[in-house]
This record gives sequence, C-alpha cells and structure tokens, in this order.
Amino acid sequence: MNVDSLKLPDSYYEHLAEIMGQEAADWARLPRAERERELTRHHMLYNTPDDLSLWPAELDGGVDRP
Amino acid sequence: MITPLEFLYHFRDLLRERGIRFAITSGMACVYYGLQQNTKDSDWIIEPADLPKLRALLLEYERRVPPWRISYRHIFGAPLVEEYLAAGWTSHLAIWPSAGGPEEHVDIFGAPPRVLPGSVAADEMGFAEPDLVAWMKRTDRDKDWPIVDGLARILEGAQMPEAALHMQQAAALRAIWRALPTAVQNTLLPHRPLLAMIESVSDDDMLQGLIRVERTIWETVNQERYRRYQHEWKEFYRRWKKEDFWEWPTPEPFSRQHERLVRAAKTYDLPDEAAKEAAWTRGIERATLISGRPSATVLALAPSRGRMLP
Repeated sequence: MNVDSLKLPDSYYEHLAEIMGQEAADWARLPRAERERELTRHHMLYNTPDDLSLWPAELDGGVDRP
Repeated sequence: MITPLEFLYHFRDLLRERGIRFAITSGMACVYYGLQQNTKDSDWIIEPADLPKLRALLLEYERRVPPWRISYRHIFGAPLVEEYLAAGWTSHLAIWPSAGGPEEHVDIFGAPPRVLPGSVAADEMGFAEPDLVAWMKRTDRDKDWPIVDGLARILEGAQMPEAALHMQQAAALRAIWRALPTAVQNTLLPHRPLLAMIESVSDDDMLQGLIRVERTIWETVNQERYRRYQHEWKEFYRRWKKEDFWEWPTPEPFSRQHERLVRAAKTYDLPDEAAKEAAWTRGIERATLISGRPSATVLALAPSRGRMLP
C-alpha cells in the first residue's frame, strides 16, 4: 500500500485524536515527506535511543519496559 | 553524516540490489503510516533463505573503503543464521556507516511474531503492509493497541477486508463486518474467532467487552512466548559467560564476532525454538483468570495456537 496515494476521510483523523491524542492526529495528517523531515530534525537535535533495555521491544523491552 | 532515514533507504536499496527479500516493519513502518512520531531503530523482516546473502553484504561493506563498522549488540539476540531466525529468534546489529557518525540499530526478524509463513509482503517503498504490521503489534504494550486500531482504519480506508481482523472498536467492527460478502467473511473467521460472535451479540458494549478479552488473550500469550525465549537466552548467556576471558560483544570485525556467536550458540546450547505449545496454553489460562470470564468464552475467542504462535 503506497501511503502517498491513500486518501483518508476526516473521520479517520478524528478517531486518531480520540485514541492517540490531537498531536498524533495532526502528525498523521502531514504528508509523508513532511513527517520524514520532522523525524530527521528530531534525530539531529536529540540523541534518544529507542532501546534502553537488554531486550528488544517486540520481545519485552523498549523504553516502556526498561 | 548520514541520518537514520537516509541509512534506512540506503540499506533498503542495497538489499534490493542483492536480491534479498525483505520488509521494513515495526516503528519505521508506523512512522510511514503516520501512526508513530519517532523512532530511530529499524526493524527488518528478512526471508531466512536470504540470510547468507545478507551476511555476504555485511562482510563486503565491512571491508570496503571507507568501511562500515558492524557489531552484534549486547542485547538478547541469536546469531544471524537461518535456523534461529526461522524459529522466531531475532538478531540485533549496530552499524556505523561513517567514521565518527552515529550508530544505526538494525533489528532483524526471520519469522516475525504472529505473522503466518508466506504472508510477508512489502509495498513498493519496501514497508510491510498494514495487515502484517498490525499482527506484529499485538504485544502486551498498551501503546501498541491504538496502532493496531489505526492500521485497521487505514485498511478500511483502502477498502481492504483485513480491516475486520484488526478493528478494536465494536461499532466500527460491526459495520465493516456486515458490509463484507459471506465468502470474504469466511476467509477471515479462522484468523479472528470473535467475528463469528458479532451477530449473536447485539449490544455494542457487550461486543466491546469481548474485544477486551480478545486483547487480553493476545497480551498473555505474547508474554508467555517471550518469557520462554528470554529464559532460554539467559540460560545460554550464563553458560557462555563462564568461558575464560569472556567478553561480548567483542571489538573484533563482524565476521569474527559472527563465528564466535555461532560457535557459542552450539557449544552452550541456545535452542533453535522455544516451547510454543506451552506458551499458548498458559497464556489462555492466564487470560481466563485476568478477564474473569468463563474458560469456555475465552477459548471460543482465542485464535488457534497456529494463528497466535506460527
């Protein structure tokens, strides 16, 4: 599925705001290229490794379960 | 300096050049779908039969000028070989593509959790399809379940019937289920037994209650699954650490590290598969206790062992 060509209705973003918060919904509305620019800016400004655990996120770790 | 996203796409292009079958999944895929705002690591599903080609690629880049520095990470992980990754283990690498630059964390799956064999599919950009990511995100972390639901909404927007497999909101689930032809419904039922109960539960709050129980089942079975991998790896690690002058990861080139880890896995018995049958049974028992529902209800909602722990 190419997300660049996917058009989602407003109700999708309204639902995201309900389950994830308005900031996450606003982020989802950005075009992919803009999201990637923001992510790169974040990577340049902050050194925040994902993995603070001995265990990978899919198996037990990640920042939520250090 | 190369950024994590530049590295992601460069690595993707290298895999394509070498004919290595892959899909980018987890955090980077969720960024791609607009459902996650930040991640740095990249997670790759690699067809296990193509792992020799991936190792050859890594060894080549370790020797080129300027070289990549490549190392196993110290975290829980198996050697980057077919028998381990095909059995559900993961390998975790650090790659420094430029001298003095940041390290890239590359996590590699062969048989990703909850994904049926033969169903790995990537789009033209190389990202795993939303259906696949949604199966992987059925973990026991609270933050993953809104992503499962968000991916369901994306599938719904693309008019794909798999939306019914992942939707977490009762009213929306009922609506999309009713819109599907019976023949399509029948293909989905084995993957989500809850779907068979939709018409017999008329109240949306009651249906939402069943969706909560279903989530609990996925959470407890996942906990039991990784608990077994974690136990096996810790036992292996303890045996291995007793070697004289033990060090891990070593400062050696990746080729030497890899040989060392493969030898250690054989010598100190890192099993190539953790006990899945027990994980499913115990997970269902725990979900019954946690949910307070009759065991018959929990069993009726539980996907098969093969669906949950393929």
